[in-house]
Amino acid sequence: MSPEQILLIPKIENGFVLDHIPAGSGVKILNLIRGHHELNAAVLSVGLHYTSRRLGRKDLIKIQCGELPQRFLQHLSLVVPGVTIKRVENFAIARKIVLEPPELVDNLLSCPNPGCITNHERGVTTCFHLVRREPMKFRCNHCERWFALAELENRLKL
Amino acid sequence: MKRDLISIEDLSEKHLRDYLELGRRVDDMSPEACRQILAGKILGVLFYEPSTRTRLSFEAAMLRMGGQVIGFSEALNTSVAKGESLADTIHTVEQYCDAIVIRHPREGAARLAAEVSRVPVINAGDGANQHPTQTLLDLYTLQNLFARIDGLRVSLVGDLKYSRTVHSLFHALSKFKDVRFTFVSPETLKMPEYVIEAIEGAKVDVKETTSLEEAIADSDVVYMTRIQRERFPDPIEYEKVKDTYRLDCAALRNAPEHLKVLHPLPRVNEIATEVDATRHAAYFPQAGYGMIMRQGILAHLLGAKI
Repeated sequence: MSPEQILLIPKIENGFVLDHIPAGSGVKILNLIRGHHELNAAVLSVGLHYTSRRLGRKDLIKIQCGELPQRFLQHLSLVVPGVTIKRVENFAIARKIVLEPPELVDNLLSCPNPGCITNHERGVTTCFHLVRREPMKFRCNHCERWFALAELENRLKL
Repeated sequence: MKRDLISIEDLSEKHLRDYLELGRRVDDMSPEACRQILAGKILGVLFYEPSTRTRLSFEAAMLRMGGQVIGFSEALNTSVAKGESLADTIHTVEQYCDAIVIRHPREGAARLAAEVSRVPVINAGDGANQHPTQTLLDLYTLQNLFARIDGLRVSLVGDLKYSRTVHSLFHALSKFKDVRFTFVSPETLKMPEYVIEAIEGAKVDVKETTSLEEAIADSDVVYMTRIQRERFPDPIEYEKVKDTYRLDCAALRNAPEHLKVLHPLPRVNEIATEVDATRHAAYFPQAGYGMIMRQGILAHLLGAKI
């Protein structure tokens, strides 16, 4: 990050940096954060449309909190797979991971197929499997239909 | 471990061949020996939507193996109409029987039933999704008619968009060696991309045409389907395509001698009754093979040795 960008978005002492967010997807992540009540009190810093060597343009979000809830990470891996998550401790990056799309999506989504039994039966847990990486497709374990990522991002069970 | 039969997608080529072998063994048995296989066992038949062939053939299969049948053939007069969940119905019925056959209008219902049931569950059709015993009986019919499945030239005709029977059969046949397909449908009822892409990896030879005559000349098997009014969101679209393909003796004049015509039944106008008397008609024997195949399936899932 260049010195000019550091001026635009301040360093954080402790928390997480969500980096390499494709430009435009930062807003999706903000909506996701809003849906996870554990993160409601976290201080956020948001940078949109930064120049990026890898992506051309990117968004960036800093979250000041102790931990990121597991369910939030699972949802995030579905909404914007490939995001880099950096853990910050005492203003320094302590570790870094790239969020891969999950092989198994266990009760994180409702099925987009209106005819799927999981949309009509009380208390049913859903399950989707990653069946193709390029373009990314997930298969509902119940109705067996395949869905692109774009069809699933509005189906999160928050 | 409990065995279920929910989806053709769960079965490898070996599983499919094992089921065909089970059918053959049942067929080789005497009626007396057959009546001992499932003596004392009870099959729960839960049909949440109407069916003639599938339900009767399951019931006949169970009775011929000495078992008994309980169940319902529509949900209107059951606790379902009072709002009972599927899971609760299954938990109750499993107390009374040794295996459950379920047909349900919702996709995935049989999978859900299998997840909550402690007794084997057989999918007899879940909405537009799967009907695996129909597929197994189709394969068993082909095996009996041709003594092989590998290398067959199969034309799938009619509603390739909404027909779950055709989708499952296409997936199952693609697991065998060198089966060549011709898809014959109106433009609006073409095989969906998602059905074709689901078998990526398998080497499948597919040709598409709108001409039934062209397909017949180059096929061993013509698998006809009914264009189902109830699947169409727009009745005008149904009217446009409902009688697109009608197989009659004139259409069969260039057919290879050994060509066989299959149909999951019931038919409406798509096969003329004059075809019934030709050497090509195999759809009524197909229904008979269905009962034998279902005997094999029931015996296997209930752990009987045959």
